[in-house]
Amino acid sequence: MAKQKLIDAVRGKRTEGVPWVPYAGVHCAFLINEPADKYLQDPKILAKGLVETAKRYKADGIPLVFDLSVEAHSLGCELKWWPDNVPSVTTHPCSGKTPEEAGLSLPTKDMGRWPLLFEAARIAKPQLDELDCALIGGICGPLTLASHLAGVRIFTDVYRNRDFAHEVVDFAGRVGAVAAGFYVEMGCEIVAIIDPVSSQIKPETFREYVSPYVKDAIKVINDAGCTSDFFVCGNATKVMEDVCALDTHGFAIDEQMNMNFIRDLAMKHGKGFGGNLKLTLALSLGLLSPREDAIVSLAAGGNIGFTFAPG
Amino acid sequence: MAEKIRIDVLTLDSVQCAACGYMMESIAALPDEVQEMIEYSEWSIKTKEGVGKFMELKGKVLPSICIEGDLVFESIIPQYEELIDAMKKRAPASLVESLALLRDRGFDFDRLQENLEKAGSGLKTKIG
Repeated sequence: MAKQKLIDAVRGKRTEGVPWVPYAGVHCAFLINEPADKYLQDPKILAKGLVETAKRYKADGIPLVFDLSVEAHSLGCELKWWPDNVPSVTTHPCSGKTPEEAGLSLPTKDMGRWPLLFEAARIAKPQLDELDCALIGGICGPLTLASHLAGVRIFTDVYRNRDFAHEVVDFAGRVGAVAAGFYVEMGCEIVAIIDPVSSQIKPETFREYVSPYVKDAIKVINDAGCTSDFFVCGNATKVMEDVCALDTHGFAIDEQMNMNFIRDLAMKHGKGFGGNLKLTLALSLGLLSPREDAIVSLAAGGNIGFTFAPG
Repeated sequence: MAEKIRIDVLTLDSVQCAACGYMMESIAALPDEVQEMIEYSEWSIKTKEGVGKFMELKGKVLPSICIEGDLVFESIIPQYEELIDAMKKRAPASLVESLALLRDRGFDFDRLQENLEKAGSGLKTKIG
């Protein structure tokens, strides 16, 4: 395992061999035979699953959790828990009110599941250090958090009620900056801004509602000397130039993107890039051979700025 | 039985993937009057049935919303009015006028969970 190799790759540098990150998420719970809902609410079990998974997959880095409900939960959104999946957000406090009208305030370390994550990181970090495996924090990006807060109406409001939309996304961005600070404090070497819904909008909407509202979080990460990353899901082709224009060191994409296109774009912008083992077609369904899929990704990715990971 | 507009949402998994979740929510948060005119399901690519539906509808990307067999919203979460317009274009003649009257109504979150459950959201996303 090689933490520094991963950090170098995310920063767009040439590496000896390709670092590997399993975005294991609640798969860590499965590996230690625990249900996901229990795993995500017990720091000891979480730390145990995380370390076991890092060992089993010989990971160069691993996310503490891959759960985009953490920030929303700490702001009072209700969750539906699942035994084999991450929780889903079921209520939207800003569906009819601005964050201020809804009485929302920025999270503190004692709100929601933040104490649990601090404790899990405290237990897992020294063990991951011993494995030379980086700890990765993942904050919920501003547009995804705005969707959790306001519901699907936010995608209409970005055109029809711009002041309201800006207010919600601005608040979400400030929450993200606080969350980024928490992950830095936990000892994460890499902090990623994970904004899956930012691929589901037009490029001009990305520039108006994502780019300005990730700046604070990126500054927190970069100023702390940590490595910053931006994860986008789905067919993000239309917003990739804008993703590259962010001040993060790198970005990561999913299985729907063409790795040759992504590699060339990353090289042009001097960014690290991660992906894109086919999570669905290869790893879940086996419609493609995971081995051959991995070879294709590795061949396309090369060894400059590339992190091999599921997409 | 009254005529309904068929909507299929092709997803990775509406629980695991936020983009898929909000694609589903865009349908489940349509107001009650629209809910009465539509029938919809989530098709997760993590199931054999989902893969079959993806192939049948000639899906290209996830998530996508398909209305009456047409891939209409591919990797773009629709605005309320866009959804109503897209449905109106493909609706049986008996529903067109009523849909037009609902164009300014906007999303309604009161029965969101109930509607998601009715559509099997998050319940048919297991491998197999």
